[in-house]
Amino acid sequence: MSSEPCAIVGVGQTHHKSRRHDVSFGGLVREAATRALDDAQMTFADIDAVVIGKAPDLFEGVMKPELYLSDALGAVGKPMFRVHTAGSVGGTTAIVAASHIQARKHERVLAVAFEKQSEGNAQFALGSGRGASLGAGGAFAPFIRAYIQRSGAPEHIGWKVAVKDRQNALKNPYAHLKIADISIEKVKESPMMWEPLRYLESCPSSDGACAVVLTNETGGRAAAADGRPPAWILGASSRSEPPSFPGRDPVRPAACVRAAWDVYEQAGITNPREQIDTAELYVPFSWHEAIWLEGHDIAPVGEGWRMIDDDETALTGSFPVNPSGGVLSSNPIGASGLLRFAEAANQVRGAAGEHQVAGAEVALAMAYGANSQYFSTWVVASSLQPFG
Amino acid sequence: MAPSTDIAIVGWAQTPMTRRTDLSETQLLLRVITDALEPLGLTRADVDFTCLGSCDYITGQAFSFVSNLDAIGAWPPKRDSHVEMDGAWAAYEAWLRLQEGDIDIAVVTGSGRSSTGDPSLIYPMEMDPFFLAPLGVDPVTFAALQARALIAAGITSERAMAEVAVRSRRDALDNPDAQVANDGDVDTLLAGDYVREPLRRHDLPPITDGAAAMVLATGDRARRLRERPAFITGFDHRTECHNPGYRDLTDSPSTRIAAQAAGLGTGPVEIAELQAAFTHEEALLRRALDLGDDAVVNRSGGALASNPIMATGLARMGYAANHVFAGGRRALAHSTSGPCLQQNLICILEGDA
Amino acid sequence: MARFVETSIVFPYKRSLGPVIGAFMTGLTDRRILGIRCGEQVLVPPTEWDPATGAELSAEALVEVGPAGTVESWTWVPTPSEQHPLDVPFAFALIRLDGASTPLLHAVDSGASDALAEGMRVAPRWRGARTGRIDDIVAFIPGEEPELQGDDAGAASEPVTMMDYDAAITYRNPVPAVLDRLREASRDQRILGQRCPVCARVYAGGRGYCPIDAVELGEEHDVDLPHTGTITNFTIVTPVQYPGQTETEPFARVFVLLDGTDVVLPYQPVVELAVSDVTVGKRVAAAWAPPNDDVDEGGTMGGAYGHLIGWIPTGEPDIDDPDLVNRIF
Repeated sequence: MSSEPCAIVGVGQTHHKSRRHDVSFGGLVREAATRALDDAQMTFADIDAVVIGKAPDLFEGVMKPELYLSDALGAVGKPMFRVHTAGSVGGTTAIVAASHIQARKHERVLAVAFEKQSEGNAQFALGSGRGASLGAGGAFAPFIRAYIQRSGAPEHIGWKVAVKDRQNALKNPYAHLKIADISIEKVKESPMMWEPLRYLESCPSSDGACAVVLTNETGGRAAAADGRPPAWILGASSRSEPPSFPGRDPVRPAACVRAAWDVYEQAGITNPREQIDTAELYVPFSWHEAIWLEGHDIAPVGEGWRMIDDDETALTGSFPVNPSGGVLSSNPIGASGLLRFAEAANQVRGAAGEHQVAGAEVALAMAYGANSQYFSTWVVASSLQPFG
Repeated sequence: MAPSTDIAIVGWAQTPMTRRTDLSETQLLLRVITDALEPLGLTRADVDFTCLGSCDYITGQAFSFVSNLDAIGAWPPKRDSHVEMDGAWAAYEAWLRLQEGDIDIAVVTGSGRSSTGDPSLIYPMEMDPFFLAPLGVDPVTFAALQARALIAAGITSERAMAEVAVRSRRDALDNPDAQVANDGDVDTLLAGDYVREPLRRHDLPPITDGAAAMVLATGDRARRLRERPAFITGFDHRTECHNPGYRDLTDSPSTRIAAQAAGLGTGPVEIAELQAAFTHEEALLRRALDLGDDAVVNRSGGALASNPIMATGLARMGYAANHVFAGGRRALAHSTSGPCLQQNLICILEGDA
Repeated sequence: MARFVETSIVFPYKRSLGPVIGAFMTGLTDRRILGIRCGEQVLVPPTEWDPATGAELSAEALVEVGPAGTVESWTWVPTPSEQHPLDVPFAFALIRLDGASTPLLHAVDSGASDALAEGMRVAPRWRGARTGRIDDIVAFIPGEEPELQGDDAGAASEPVTMMDYDAAITYRNPVPAVLDRLREASRDQRILGQRCPVCARVYAGGRGYCPIDAVELGEEHDVDLPHTGTITNFTIVTPVQYPGQTETEPFARVFVLLDGTDVVLPYQPVVELAVSDVTVGKRVAAAWAPPNDDVDEGGTMGGAYGHLIGWIPTGEPDIDDPDLVNRIF
């Protein structure tokens, strides 16, 4: 028996900021959840189950926060499920929520992911409280140096991505960073943080949450009939690989490539560059855009940077990447993956507002975590059979 | 809704349950996953999906689960997930995933070493961060308040609780994997001091280091792997509001709803493995589940005999599966999380007729 | 018997309170306790949402309750923990404040457990200097009359919007035997690795297993690794300050491919090598602490261990190999 088709009928997110001191962390999560429910024309009472994801509990100093948040999310009397797969967790949260629908266990599931980074300190938590924490940038900088040398990409590629994503963010009312005068000059003159990564090539630290309402084929078709186009999941996969072993390649991680292949096979995608209209890729540091374009076979190996150089990934390009502004513009860590998945859904729903990619019918989203080891990927489309 | 695909537990294993292990969590998982697969003639390469359950605050390190990937043989990369929950919820995720129909075999684990920190200092961190955690309110305190409520309501008594403790640890004498097993005496136990009135030492679970791993398979594959697989015929979990002060502590509505959704009421169960880490919880859960007097509860010794946090619930599923493997017809497993049984999970296992 | 090491996770969290909890905490500084109307009920402590349905509750629905109330249930705490509000034996009790529908959990300082009874009346003992935390109430005490502990510093002049939460947990973890062997070997200026008997890959850093074959590696798999190598890749970290941070200046972490092996030691510190002089291809040798020095147990992410304190330039010419940079692992 094949699995039940799954549709996204509601998307919500918070206004992401360095410090959302105006809300409690429960209030923050509810802000995203109620927006997603409003978008789906539902209330908490309509939801059968809640799936919640976030990065380490040490970030906020609340252990198993799904316990505290059960009533905040209207989950009393319902299943409340907690996912944690490092930085990819937001994506995995969406995939696990979809699994509830695809297995025909439930009809309407709320997926929520959040981080309230201002309650603690990410560098502290990443180092588990010890000194000389490398932070994510310190951990990833060597991967980027390897990519640059391998591909022969010029140094301005990273700056271009940093500018493009911040320009896209100006069109996204929810984005954290709004740098109206962003420019190549400004990026290249920003302080070097983790050589070769500069400050403006790095993601911010944000408070924020994202929520998505998923439903079955009947629910998706009902929304469509009501003039509220859903996004249909064509394929989804999560893959992981060990942290390190001799010869492991974190620049083109096999788990990333395999997850992409899983999804393409499920979706019937044989030419991702042509069949996919836009992508929301998890790019916390500018160079990851080139790395993940290659990791998902959108560009040939060593050629991803050329798409950037040729402005193909700009909002008006042939393959827009991160029209929302991406992780470079908003990074509530646990929610960052779900934001990618939700933004991709909004693109094919035609609901992305000012950063809508014209005519987007098929969208890719991915998130990754830990030492480039955990990958979550999905492809969503405006119909169940977009390829005829 | 009925599951679209038959899914069964075909095997499981647990590490020795000890007060303190010298092994890392990854080492525990390396051993226990092998121990679960080998008797089935399977290797890690046969596993299509893994889901691990563990908790950073138990381990004392952010991203502690990442090194546990080293135990699953994730090369080539595996379809994989992790829950910051007991391994029983990892099993739930795998059960959903297998029903999508494209894969056959999943391994799920639960692992934790509670010996590394002081539970009375760690557990307040899972409580309401504004009103409860700052007071250092730990789950034992709330368990005591729940026990008091149950005693006041006539649902249990200090003597009945001691009887649960004696029975559980006496049953554990027959369980070579149990950590605490002895032939105690109710009156002697009742002469002991209170830890948190009305709870005495014997009403509390031991501190246990350990891990469990379980193999799940889809219908036909399951029947080829084991003569008598334990089919999951119902699986559900529910939560309640967090602050126990807002709840009726003499009831466990989330257990009742989960049991109903899992189809418990369609027939009797022969055995029930309940994650009743405190003695009084058994009486409450029995009531919520409407278990008949003929249902044997926690023949393994239960969580009072070994309590490997994050694996205790998965082990309940394992013991319930053992009953079906050995010819039993229908068994129930229960897991829980949060103060005063906030979240409850019910799994019904059945053998082929 | 394994050796154990203690690590502490200590962090001063700053919680934002939002409108409802913020108002409650502000009220505490003014020695007032607030509940919130939710249908027919008055919930204490107040929440931003109906616990049963998740429906929003507005700060406008806050109402004053107490300050005295009735003990509904209690449990005696004979040995308080360092996190508890009192350092003498006390009771945690569910206290229904006058006007409330739900009980508040708090401490009752009654001296002895037999002084407690269900139905007894209690009132708050307020802290003199209140900051807007639940422990502005030191504890409840028997009787109807609130008390003040210390001089009254008065109510907060501004609404309370934030709360400090100082978490401190100490963990005691066993040191895997292989790490102890590594440390011991490092005292003799030896670098140990382990060779997997299945795939023959060699692992440094004392992992104790092969992640590819998922087999454990024991003492019989130990191998000696060379002391010289080449920097394949590196990162220069500009330290961000946080509680527990030990670094103030930019520091390097390098990846060292050991000569004649397939082994990369990741994220290693360097010695006598300026941050600006770190390059791919630089030849380095192990740097050792004197044998009798006390050494750090090691940092995170593959930092050097034991007496191996980092890598020092050998002065040989750099290796020019474009593939070197790819050897991160």
